[in-house]
Amino acid sequence: MFLTRSEYDRGVNTFSPEGRLFQVEYAIEAIKLGSTTVGVRTPEGVVLGVEKRVQSPLLESSSIEKIMEIDAHLGCAMSGLTADARTMVDHARVTAQNHAFTYDERIRIESATQAVCDLALRFGESVHDEEALMSRPFGVALLIAGVDEGGPQLFHTDPSGTFVRYDAKAIGSGSEAAQSELQDKWHSQMTLREAHLLTLRVLKQVMEEKLDQHNVQLAQVTPSKGFEILDEVKLKEIIDAM
Amino acid sequence: MHAFAERFSTNGAAAELRRAKEILGEDDDVSDVMWGSSGGFGSLVNGVPKFAVPSVPDPTSFLRMHTDDHADPSCRIKIKHGTTTLAFRFKGGVIVAVDSRATAGSYVASGTVKKVIEINPYLLGTMAGGAADCQYWETYLGIQCRLHELRNRERISVAAASKYLSNLVYSYKGMGLSMGTMICGWDKTGPAIFYVDSDGTRLKGDLFSVGSGSTFAYGVLDQGYRWDLTDEEAQELGRRSIYAAGHRDAFSGNTINLYHVKEDGWKFIGNYDISEMHYNGPGGADGYGYDVRVQGRTSANPPPEAAAAQA
Amino acid sequence: MPDGSFSHPQQRQFNPYSDNGGTILAIAGADFTVIAGDTRQSEGYSIQTRYAPKVFRLTDRAVLAVNGFAADGNMFVKKVKQRLEWYRHAHAKDMPLRAIARLIQTMLYAQRFFPYYVYNILGGIEEDGSGAVYSFDPVGSYEREACRAAGAAQSLVQPFLDNQIYFKNQAAAPNQSHPAHLPLPDVLSIVIDSFTSATERHIEVGDGLEIYVVLAKGRSAQGLEGARGIQELSTKSDGDRVFVIRRELKKD
Repeated sequence: MFLTRSEYDRGVNTFSPEGRLFQVEYAIEAIKLGSTTVGVRTPEGVVLGVEKRVQSPLLESSSIEKIMEIDAHLGCAMSGLTADARTMVDHARVTAQNHAFTYDERIRIESATQAVCDLALRFGESVHDEEALMSRPFGVALLIAGVDEGGPQLFHTDPSGTFVRYDAKAIGSGSEAAQSELQDKWHSQMTLREAHLLTLRVLKQVMEEKLDQHNVQLAQVTPSKGFEILDEVKLKEIIDAM
Repeated sequence: MHAFAERFSTNGAAAELRRAKEILGEDDDVSDVMWGSSGGFGSLVNGVPKFAVPSVPDPTSFLRMHTDDHADPSCRIKIKHGTTTLAFRFKGGVIVAVDSRATAGSYVASGTVKKVIEINPYLLGTMAGGAADCQYWETYLGIQCRLHELRNRERISVAAASKYLSNLVYSYKGMGLSMGTMICGWDKTGPAIFYVDSDGTRLKGDLFSVGSGSTFAYGVLDQGYRWDLTDEEAQELGRRSIYAAGHRDAFSGNTINLYHVKEDGWKFIGNYDISEMHYNGPGGADGYGYDVRVQGRTSANPPPEAAAAQA
Repeated sequence: MPDGSFSHPQQRQFNPYSDNGGTILAIAGADFTVIAGDTRQSEGYSIQTRYAPKVFRLTDRAVLAVNGFAADGNMFVKKVKQRLEWYRHAHAKDMPLRAIARLIQTMLYAQRFFPYYVYNILGGIEEDGSGAVYSFDPVGSYEREACRAAGAAQSLVQPFLDNQIYFKNQAAAPNQSHPAHLPLPDVLSIVIDSFTSATERHIEVGDGLEIYVVLAKGRSAQGLEGARGIQELSTKSDGDRVFVIRRELKKD
């Protein structure tokens, strides 16, 4: 087994005899090293939460950016090689703006997600005029949250370019424990407030450090106010209420 | 500029490739990407919009022959023209006022044109020249400003936005675009106006008027303009100036659209019928033109003393 | 004249355009829109055909009328329909009317340096259920209006519509105001009168008339039941609905 594996994981676009693309699978493994990221969907909106690993007291925690706005009605949180996510988020932003320009309407959350996933397999050799963008797969997974005519939605994308819709999803190093906790606690009639608290409780469980307003970040997308990252004052208030 | 020259040239490698594609029936706007999630952004697929150009030695003169109604009034494709627009800066922000008439030759193609383009909640653009050129490029500017905002976590300055537009239209210089626009807004530096046109001119200033009726508007504007106008005085000056242009310029008229840009973004003040302004004025009591001419102050109906003196 | 000899200077021009006459118009009501066009196609003083449609159903709530150069118009409609289908595949829904309007702008403007010689009028029902008309110039400037006529008899029909739809230069009776929207039977009469009159006074208008009526979801077909030879084109009866009424116009 070890031998076959080492032979078929060299080329990024080479299938193994068992039908696996090892480089893509390794990329998915890379996400499990990332910090924990949680998304919770409710009828009132979607909540995203991330753990910021502040490795040093000298580190300016506000400079860690793991939740990003894509457009006024959608945003995303990431786990894994966050540098890779910048390419994906910028692509999503450009796609969202192109959509707004061409159709004078907001892009659907699923369409934006699909656009990000279209990028995921653009690695390896280039095919005729379609240029390959990268030499390796992305090493990052995204939770894309937004509100459109179909209501609040949460999508998960991984390096294979697959995307799935979730009611609640955790990714990153603590994802297994976090996911089972979400499975226990999530219910379909949650309020946004309950989702804030659930997200923080799940993060608290899996984090090594003591959770405070500097080492987590919360964002929400609501039908009325769209995407917003909660400031530290609001965050502290929720943490205190926990 | 190299990309530009290559894109539109009729000889050289790029043109050969283009011709080959035409022969093969490969349509420019049918790329693989059309089928994916971008679901057909057409000319935007590769970022910068691309345009079809006729395969003739001189595409510009082809376009002029068929669309420019100054050169040939009987040309087939009549692009909408004609305008009066103005904008000025004062202590209370920026006033933007425009008329709403569009003419194709001597036909009034529309009397309800929106010549103020709402680029985003903090930026306005005005429309003079080709209606489509202004509408399209200022909408395009809007998405670029939004991307700037997302990437830099900061609103774009009026200077930067206007420069973006100016550089963009300059790259099409000589191709026949026609636009004279004022980019108005409020940024860190306060209220700002930049005049941008399709020749590539970009000017910062306090007061501009653009279009066929601009001379008439300037007349009223210049004599009434002060930096310390109150908000109401400034709005009245904008309205009165467009009225003057609508009254004297045949290519301007119908209605006035008035906007006021303040620190918290622009606000639409109102739409005013120019004939209504002539007879009744904005308040319904004081017409801009009618009373002056009728209430015993013209030769047709002179005041009693003057009539007596003449007799 | 170019005669193949080189004895005198010659000039050649690339002229890919021709004007095929005809007229189109559209009027928006509160919860319906009427889009109509004649079916004559001519070149110069000769009539090429008496039935060349200029009005096309795009979706169950959008109808596009094209006028100008017929070849450009037909190609343009074809490309719009193609884009609508791609959109449906990519976004799993029919394109809303205002999205179609913006799409048409970008498609026309993509030909800014080699324009389609086509005047477009788009009519239909918006997402909020209101009737809407969008009119375009050949390179894509557009605005939403209550009514618009375009084509050969534009300057005959538009002043009539201004008077009858916008009540321009009409004073309302004392203590009364002009209605913001007319009922469907009134609009249909105005459309038919516009075309019979334009047929009388314009040589390029006549032969046949196609009137498309788009009704908002949930609106009854009241006002249409009396119409002769009416045909429903919608794919489902519980959404917005499209009908076409065909009439003859004078053929001389």
